[in-house]
Amino acid sequence: MAVYIEGVGLTKVGRHYSLSIKDLAAQTAFNAIEQVGGPEGIDYLIFSSALAPLQDNQLDIAGYVSSYIGLRGIRALNVEAGEASGLAAIAIAKSLLESHQADKVLVIGAEKLTEYVSSKAYKQLQMLYDSDLRSFYNIGFAGDAALLMRLYMNTYNVDRETLSYWPALMHSNAKENPYAMLRFAIKPDKVSKSQILADPITLLDAYPIGDGAAAVVVSSKDVVKTPLVKVTAIESSTGLGGIELLDDPLIFDSLLSAYRKLSSIADISQIDFMEIHDSFTIVAPIILESIGLAERGKAPELIAEGHFSLNGDKPLINPSGGLKARGHPIGATGVYQVAESALQISGEFPGIKVDNAKRGLVISLNGLGSNSYVALLEGV
Amino acid sequence: MAMDLSISRFWRKKVSVYRLYGSRCKACGKVHYPPKKACPYCGSRDLELIELPKRGKLLSYTTIYAVPEGARPKSPVYFGLIDLGITKVVAELTDVADKNSLKEGIEVEAVLRRTREDRDSGLIYYLLKFRPVMVHR
Amino acid sequence: MHGPKAGIHGWGAYIPIYRLPLSEIAKVWGWSPEQYESLDVVEKAVASSDEDSVTMAYEAASNAIKRAGIDPKKIGAIFFGTESKPYAVKPSATIIGEALGITPYTMASDMEFACRAGSEGLRSLIGMVDSGLVEFGLAIGSDTAQANPGDVLEFTAASGAAAFVIGPSENASAIVEDSVTFVTDTPDFWRRATQPYPLHGEGFTGEPAYFYHIENAVRALLEKTGLKPGDFDYAIFHQPNGKFPVKVGKGLGFTIDQMKDGLVTPMIGNTYNASALMGLAKVLDKARPGEKILLAPFGSGAGSDAYYIRVTDSIEERKALAPSVGDYLDRKVLIDYGMYSKARSIMHVIK
Ligand SMILES: [Zn+2]
Repeated sequence: MAVYIEGVGLTKVGRHYSLSIKDLAAQTAFNAIEQVGGPEGIDYLIFSSALAPLQDNQLDIAGYVSSYIGLRGIRALNVEAGEASGLAAIAIAKSLLESHQADKVLVIGAEKLTEYVSSKAYKQLQMLYDSDLRSFYNIGFAGDAALLMRLYMNTYNVDRETLSYWPALMHSNAKENPYAMLRFAIKPDKVSKSQILADPITLLDAYPIGDGAAAVVVSSKDVVKTPLVKVTAIESSTGLGGIELLDDPLIFDSLLSAYRKLSSIADISQIDFMEIHDSFTIVAPIILESIGLAERGKAPELIAEGHFSLNGDKPLINPSGGLKARGHPIGATGVYQVAESALQISGEFPGIKVDNAKRGLVISLNGLGSNSYVALLEGV
Repeated sequence: MAMDLSISRFWRKKVSVYRLYGSRCKACGKVHYPPKKACPYCGSRDLELIELPKRGKLLSYTTIYAVPEGARPKSPVYFGLIDLGITKVVAELTDVADKNSLKEGIEVEAVLRRTREDRDSGLIYYLLKFRPVMVHR
Repeated sequence: MHGPKAGIHGWGAYIPIYRLPLSEIAKVWGWSPEQYESLDVVEKAVASSDEDSVTMAYEAASNAIKRAGIDPKKIGAIFFGTESKPYAVKPSATIIGEALGITPYTMASDMEFACRAGSEGLRSLIGMVDSGLVEFGLAIGSDTAQANPGDVLEFTAASGAAAFVIGPSENASAIVEDSVTFVTDTPDFWRRATQPYPLHGEGFTGEPAYFYHIENAVRALLEKTGLKPGDFDYAIFHQPNGKFPVKVGKGLGFTIDQMKDGLVTPMIGNTYNASALMGLAKVLDKARPGEKILLAPFGSGAGSDAYYIRVTDSIEERKALAPSVGDYLDRKVLIDYGMYSKARSIMHVIK
């Protein structure tokens, strides 16, 4: 059963030193609420933050935000699924609406990553990976993706410089997006020459550390008045989540499974654009290959040749600039992806526009696939 | 008084991290590290604890400069994806005198080393890391 | 009267990969080459920042257990001799025991007698094995030796470990036929409880300490066993530098030929508790059945042990079961004073 997105609020991802997580949440929520004509009828707040307990020293962030933004009395809950939290929050909102537990749900994804110095953020972000073992080590936030990237390059004999076309493409898309953190173009050859974080991952291969918040009002068919877009279906799946456990680490098992589930309940053969989870350069081609948009080992070449760019022959990927350049405020990211996709389909996205976009796919995952979410958005 | 590192979590895992104990699924034969309560592949709960080989081949590796809090004195930190034959593990690499010596396929062996230290007064985590195998004539 | 006997079943050593040429130290502190050349040490072994006396002990002991070919659970006592304990309070021996699969039915303790603690463990185990209190025991000497930067001690303070599985005389690689210990209260070298570096009495560490105690221990052993220096194939002494062991050996009537195989300090510096014991490991890597070894470790404060060790037929089959001291000596990477400062936490880094 489809649910509808009515209001959307977005904040530029960045280093918002003057704003707390609650301020960011308020700012975006007010915008979304205004678009639906006020808070009347909103009967549930689903909040999405992964790091609020660590960055903001706040538990029950949903409860505290409710009264902070003037919604005291509302039912409220924080949803946490690591980097997939945002899309998980939308999925929970959708099921609340479908099961008639709510009619109008406010979903706010908000995250601060800059309350402490970067080394503390790296330590917190290391928690996205299996802490059973990682917590005894100092692998940081990029180590797992770095191991995966080298494995990919060696297995498929793909050149580092070919992979660099992805961040360049994301920067070029983000340049047009007023909500993006990194609004400047880069040439592919700059990527490998930037500061190394975890060899072969450089600064330009990784998502930037930034704060952000996005909000959407999701309504049931019964109460919706001015829908921007409908959320036709969301599916998700868990996976092994670690490259050491996967027989084939170059396919995200949970994503493959979630995508198959989604294609069994919805027609996803014709997609105009996608917002995918490109936390690191290497994650993008593996996502595209996991869902069959590219042959294995061939996605980087297709990206470099412009097949996924504006006016390419394949779906445009990440008109927002993606996690790479729009930014990746962990728990907020999935909500950004959905909000930007809603604006894209309704023709109101203030960045790169996909002509006549009717159907968009949103993909979000945690780490290297401990959890994957896939959502289909369609025009109304 | 400030202690950042967990005492009990390390103590609980000590056999696994000191001696590389993993679990083997009696139903499908898969081996997992660290040990699980059910097989992640087939779901069977019929698992046995086994000691993993302490020698393997490097499948992938990285040099980490963006180190988390607490690791500055040991930076950069090296990690590898290691094929132990019956399973794979991600572990820290050590005795990497020259990072150009890290190559796919090189043989590595497990040695006990320090990984994390809790500031100046807290616990020290000892764990198996892997180093390029010693030439032994 | 003969003392109790026991066998050395397995021996093992460990030397970290990094070596600091002494010229690097001289460069930093402005010493002239003559000042360190007289020590007869070229390079010193430096433990990496993720190593300490426990991790080095683990590898040396693991080598010793491989050579002994026994189930680690048969080890009933772990004596860990060091003066660079990672924890001032909390046994290191339990970490080593747990990691090697020896625990829980074992004695385990950290011993302290400056550089002689590991040897005290060895000597204790001989009695414990001979009396039947334990079947096998593990004696370890391991140190990441500290020295106040700029002190002459910095030239030689090095890192390394040696370990021995002691058990019954049957099937042993070598038999400790007899031993004596000689100790007095002689304050030549110490480290106060909360201090990072030891202090020493300079020249006082020589005659009244090192020479006096080793000479008396060795003479007592020779008298007790009726052996003469010429009866031994090898003589191994504690090696604070390259000079002292040769001088004490010659004074006691031993020749360079008897001493050369047991000398490791000239190549890697003084590994404190592992110093003479690594010399023994190196000699066992080479020794033939029937050969006789004199071993005399020394610790400041002060005391010396003297052992008469006889090699058996079983030694040959065990040599190849673990890396030799020579393998570790060959595996080396030269570093500069900066890398050394980082490895040994001499530079202060906020974590
Ligand atoms: Zn199974």
